[in-house]
Amino acid sequence: MTHPRILLPAAGLVALTLWLAAALQLLPLPLWPALPFSPGAMDLDQIRLAFGLMPRGFIALLAGACLGLSGAMLQAVLRNPVADPTTLGISSGAQLALVLATIHAPGLLAYGRWPFAMAGATLAAALVLGIGARRDFAPVTMVIAGMLIGLTASAVATAVTLAEGQYLLSLVIWNGGSLVQQDWSGVRALTTVLTVGGLGAAALARPLRVLSLGSEGARGIGLNVALVRLAAVAVSVWLAASVSAELGLIAFVGLAAPALARSMGARTIGQRLALSPLIGALILSVCDGVVLAVAGQSGEMFPTGAVTGLIGGPLLIWLLPRLRGSTPPGTEAAEGSAPRLRRPGTVLVALAIALVLLAMILIWIGRVPGGWAVLDWQSFRDFLPLRAPRLIAAAAAGAALALAGAILQRLTANPLASPEVLGVSGGASLGYATVVFAVAAPGAVALGAGAMIGAALALALVASFTARRDMPAERILLAGIAVSALSAAVLSAMMAIGDARSWAILGWLSGSSSGVGMPAAMALASVALILWTASLGMTRWLGVLPLGSEVASGLGLPLGRARLSLILLAGIATGAATMLVGPLSFVGLMAPHMARRIGLARPVDHVTGAALIGAGLMLAADFGARMAGFPYELPLGLFASLIGAPWLIWLMMRSPR
Amino acid sequence: MSLFAIRNLSVDVPGRRLLHDLTMELPPRRVTALIGHNGSGKSTLLKTLARQIDGTGHIAFEGRALIDWNARDYARRLAFLPQTTPPAEGMIVRELVALGRYPWHGALGRFGPRDHAAVAEALEECAVTDFADRLVDTLSGGERQRVWLAMMVAQQANTLLLDEPISALDVAHQVEVLSLVRRMCQDQSRSAIIVLHDVNMAARYCDHIVALKAGRLAMQGSPADLMRPAALREIYGLPMDVLIRDDGLPVAVPA
Repeated sequence: MTHPRILLPAAGLVALTLWLAAALQLLPLPLWPALPFSPGAMDLDQIRLAFGLMPRGFIALLAGACLGLSGAMLQAVLRNPVADPTTLGISSGAQLALVLATIHAPGLLAYGRWPFAMAGATLAAALVLGIGARRDFAPVTMVIAGMLIGLTASAVATAVTLAEGQYLLSLVIWNGGSLVQQDWSGVRALTTVLTVGGLGAAALARPLRVLSLGSEGARGIGLNVALVRLAAVAVSVWLAASVSAELGLIAFVGLAAPALARSMGARTIGQRLALSPLIGALILSVCDGVVLAVAGQSGEMFPTGAVTGLIGGPLLIWLLPRLRGSTPPGTEAAEGSAPRLRRPGTVLVALAIALVLLAMILIWIGRVPGGWAVLDWQSFRDFLPLRAPRLIAAAAAGAALALAGAILQRLTANPLASPEVLGVSGGASLGYATVVFAVAAPGAVALGAGAMIGAALALALVASFTARRDMPAERILLAGIAVSALSAAVLSAMMAIGDARSWAILGWLSGSSSGVGMPAAMALASVALILWTASLGMTRWLGVLPLGSEVASGLGLPLGRARLSLILLAGIATGAATMLVGPLSFVGLMAPHMARRIGLARPVDHVTGAALIGAGLMLAADFGARMAGFPYELPLGLFASLIGAPWLIWLMMRSPR
Repeated sequence: MSLFAIRNLSVDVPGRRLLHDLTMELPPRRVTALIGHNGSGKSTLLKTLARQIDGTGHIAFEGRALIDWNARDYARRLAFLPQTTPPAEGMIVRELVALGRYPWHGALGRFGPRDHAAVAEALEECAVTDFADRLVDTLSGGERQRVWLAMMVAQQANTLLLDEPISALDVAHQVEVLSLVRRMCQDQSRSAIIVLHDVNMAARYCDHIVALKAGRLAMQGSPADLMRPAALREIYGLPMDVLIRDDGLPVAVPA
């Protein structure tokens, strides 16, 4: 414990200096108002200092401490060094609840944002923990489940924001986690929250230390494990939801603070619980100080939450190799052995025929004002050139995502692996957003190139992890999650600017097939076809890899090369599909599962069946997106997620047999 | 020529040295047991020989340095069975055994008549032909272990490395699996290196014993060399008695 004595005061000094610089720029010291503050007797700058900057300085400390403590509690109770309110989806749950409340019941918000944030956060936490409990709280699975639920919540929040248009600017800013204050009420609220949370943490410190033996050991010496877990998670959710309600989404402070506490030598749980809030407070204060300093030069550009988000991605990647306790292959299996078909060929042919029939039907029927219509022959010929491209594109995108999902699930032997967590979509979104902001009036080519480059960079980062031999395949997914998290944070910062460019990105994020022309559709279809062919060339690898790296390398399989090729294949498929459907759809998660459940077990059948089912799912989603809100069109990716998320949750809540 | 020639082999993990400067030769066409206390480094040594982990020093397999073998050639000569065999979700026995042909046909090569023949022979040799079309995950522990052995046989490797192949089996299946391994080696002049916990099983089914203690070589020799109270005490740090059964087989028990 030598560093903390130097580092912590130094960080405190930096935070104080940055805040003082901002304060003194606003008002020289002699003019500062005296205590007690009475707004009536002050001039405007004095009010801005006393009711703006001063509470802001305090709230940074308080919120940071809350988040640090929340993260430390979660990491202790789950024995998972990458748990925090962000990675477990708790903050996103709170965010979604607040967005929904703002739109559908704004009147209720008069009673305070807190109950909504708490409800949303509790629900998200309950879901993630419910999934985790069935898998013995395996760290990697917890984070993947948390990330999927977090992504879903953000996607729905984004879509709702998009649907309601410009009225929700304040909401978007809140999402970004701004620390701007108008009075001392926030400080008072968070002081109470932190006091209660701190008392709870102090009471739980000793049971948590016992729990660090593992649940069986702890139960053996008479600890009520379920109760301690519940209480600790409740305290964490309380802390995180309160910060969400007060300030919005401030990502990764809860991850960074305990990690730093550990690296500074805080060994016992008591030390970590004590040190983490302190470090969290300093992190957020320094970040806010930087934002203040930048704002002093050029006006308030971005919310503080975005800055902490920038720390989060790299931090997660740094933590990856430290994550112990990988899950042996097979323990992830959520369900009993699926059936296995004697004649998969017939089923595959039937699937293909069904797909073509579905496409035909979807061209033929449509909604007209006042009802449904089946096209006559003449109209069919007129409509064909209009509807065919988007159907082809949707089917191809679905097939590509399903291929990526099937490949990733076999590569990692983890049924939760999906293109969404590979980070490719996140990278693509980031590239797209960068072009929107960097180039004045960008064309479609520039935007496409931006998304491609972003996806490629994300892929390169994830692939660099595959080169490490000692890195279990499932950790590769965590690298992808880190990229996703980083891009989500940066995107929310960009959104917070709230002008036309933000809306352009928002629109793209939710995905649409309406603007697709025939050339683009055919290009996407050929990409899907090429990828399918390539995956057929790798079926031997896809057969061996689920047995784990020991068996694979024992058979002379080139492990590094095989992983790299498959990750690249999955990445390209995801990148191509992302251009059309946006970064989230769950088709890549659903289709391989469905293929497996109907009994397609051999790699060739599994991959092919998944692609066919994926294409069908996306066609259905496209139809739904066109018809549900007729004559308006819903975003395609969003509609697919709305089908996918319940399936996902059902799947993960099933008990393993 | 020795099967493995090991010179100055050390294996480190952060903060700990698992194998200390090990030098030894392992004989070919024998069933060799690797024994020792928990943490003695026997599994580490086996995994190093299987090229699952890297060490410093020099190891030669069949006269050629380990690093000079390419992955598939190595897998054609040597098969490795990990301590815990992973679940083979949705796979039938025949398919799992056929995976043993990977080093021969590679990622894209045709699964030809020779491959079919090798799989059929392997199924026969390990007596698993009867359930060749059943799902691997529905088999009992002993049957499953035999299926994995069949996969190694299909690999047509002459050297088998087994990491505690009987630790999860009841005594009847332990005998069954070890007898099978012994028969496989005697009939086809294969070599096997087996990590074992049970000294009596090692003495009974193996014809060469290598004992490790705290990452160093403690003893190397025949089962008769092992089954002496002094040797056992040296290896396990515990006084042991050796009783002679009616049929003349020695049995070690803690004194």
